[in-house]
Amino acid sequence: MNSKMSKLVAVLLALMLVVAFLPACAQEEPAEEPAEEPVTEEPVEPVLKTAMVTDVGGLGDKSFNDLAYEGLKKAEADLNVEIQVLESKEITDYESNIDQLASAGYSPIFAVGFLMTDAVAKMAPEYPDTQFGGVDEFFEEVPPNVVGLLFKEQEGSYLAGVVAGLATLDTFDDKLNGDNVIGFVGGMDIPLIKKFEAGFTAGAKAVNPDVKVIALYAGNFTDQAKGKELGLSLIEQKADVIYAAAGAVGSGTIQACQERGALFIGVDADQYLTVPGSGDVMLTSMMKRVDVAVYDTIKAVIDGSFPGGELQVFGLAEGGVDLAPYHDFEDKVPQAIKDAVEKARADIIAGTIVVPES
Amino acid sequence: MLGDIITPDLFASALRMATPLALAAIGGTLCERSGVVNIALEGIMLTGAFFGTAAVLATGNPWIGVGAAMLSGVAISAIHAFASVNLRADQVVSGTAINLLALGVTGFLMELWYGHPGTTASIQVLRPIFSFSSPGGGFLAEAWRWVNGIVFSHTPIVYFTIILAVVAQWAMYRTKWGLHLRALGEHPRAVDTVGVSVYRGRWVAVLMSGALAGLAGANLTIEQVGSFTENMTNGRGFIALAANIFGRWTPVGSYLASLLFGFADALQIKLQILRDVITVPPQFFLMLPYVLTVIVLAGVIGRAVAPAAVGEPYKKG
Repeated sequence: MNSKMSKLVAVLLALMLVVAFLPACAQEEPAEEPAEEPVTEEPVEPVLKTAMVTDVGGLGDKSFNDLAYEGLKKAEADLNVEIQVLESKEITDYESNIDQLASAGYSPIFAVGFLMTDAVAKMAPEYPDTQFGGVDEFFEEVPPNVVGLLFKEQEGSYLAGVVAGLATLDTFDDKLNGDNVIGFVGGMDIPLIKKFEAGFTAGAKAVNPDVKVIALYAGNFTDQAKGKELGLSLIEQKADVIYAAAGAVGSGTIQACQERGALFIGVDADQYLTVPGSGDVMLTSMMKRVDVAVYDTIKAVIDGSFPGGELQVFGLAEGGVDLAPYHDFEDKVPQAIKDAVEKARADIIAGTIVVPES
Repeated sequence: MLGDIITPDLFASALRMATPLALAAIGGTLCERSGVVNIALEGIMLTGAFFGTAAVLATGNPWIGVGAAMLSGVAISAIHAFASVNLRADQVVSGTAINLLALGVTGFLMELWYGHPGTTASIQVLRPIFSFSSPGGGFLAEAWRWVNGIVFSHTPIVYFTIILAVVAQWAMYRTKWGLHLRALGEHPRAVDTVGVSVYRGRWVAVLMSGALAGLAGANLTIEQVGSFTENMTNGRGFIALAANIFGRWTPVGSYLASLLFGFADALQIKLQILRDVITVPPQFFLMLPYVLTVIVLAGVIGRAVAPAAVGEPYKKG
């Protein structure tokens, strides 16, 4: 009886583990997607096989992982390439995911997220014939088969700061109060996120020197409930425009803005489109065009101009960062604010304004 | 300066953040008092959060979502009950399996039902019960701002949790059911001898903890953030486990311990506002709740004694 029982337990637990890892299998699906029956045309041999490894946020983060995937999908449609995605559930998955793709002949492989920098630096020399694109990854010495894809987040955030700094003085929406305070919600206090904060603060102070910018950090990129509490705290401090560079944490902040009445500036994607039902508070978004960087890199590989061994920096001038449309606020935002944004954009591109990184 | 930190919202925020912890912690208390270790609280909470959201998305009614969250918590904890009571499996292994299972199932069903991973669409949330307008000016208005902010600004589950802590405490020490429950965790054979079923008692306790941890998940999604994100519980189930121990396996103790953790978290958010004044890196504030957990578990507060038979499968003799 006893041994029979323990066997049953073993089987049960094994079954649980199988079910637990089902999603990992489910994600393999996109590879064998177009299995439709009668193919009339000769299937065209893909030009190359390209792949990406997501950060722990994974697909569906409505942020840089999804954006990188957008770039891949665009390349699949336009450039006739085969694409594949491996999701990292743990930091320890990075190397094995890269290894798996590289040994399966994928190139270029995009490693998305600064956390993967060391994994890329370690794996690139092992696969010298494979090309790597490191999104948000800074290398002291870039390996010859790697390109680091970096963004001037501070430049786009500067524009967001200009909007917020002028909006808090204005009254074009009833959620704007009379106090000269705006807020920033950061994910983790790391140099990357500091670039968002520094640009935002600089932009706001440039157009509104007396504005008080309160910056709060969640300590992670996933805890929405914390994001809501941070938003509520900022609103209690009279902030009426809040900019969040915090991944999924920002969704909680949007909820706080909707409940207590404040405007929100999204990040990475045009969050008006990616967060349904947020239109009543979504003033604009600071877009980081990871999709553009990924697509351009795939194109460069096909053209034979892969900039291996280099760091490529995408700023306002390169179309790597920009402000999203105002959408529902298009008619409300005064022309003076739109003009100020255009002027700041022109000055940054011309180099007359240099936005600080920290 | 201090006025920026000590605000009504500091205490309101502490109550809000304590609620999911307290619900799971009280569930853990009931479960462990019956002699079953429940480290699956995290997974059960996540399951409740997901099915609660899914039910609201399907029906548009947040109360149905709350019910679905509790039911799904009961369902997944039944696996734990069956494995640890009937099969006499190692309860820690079973709990870990459920945590993995919950993470996998919720992620899988997201793909299956909504076609994408990550975050669901927004749902209808439960609003605060009371909504009073503030009276005239002066001192009275200021006092009212405090009372209103701290006492009357909350959503239903926040109040329910406080009532639950008191009722569960009473039931545990003043009813026959409570006596049996405590005996189950101390000396199950004695309970068996007087003719009360150990299996049945433990099943009930585990399922109750499942319902409460599921409700904790509903609080996160249906009251606080209004959407579900994969792995959104973010370790709260484990902090709840610590709160249960800190609260010495009593419902009111668990609530107060959760309130302390919630307060530490609320305080660190407010302290960050002063970053320009006190130049301390924000990581220092962020670690406060965890430092507190370590201090508490290291036993500074005094020795906490677990139920004698906790974690030991009972074999009918």
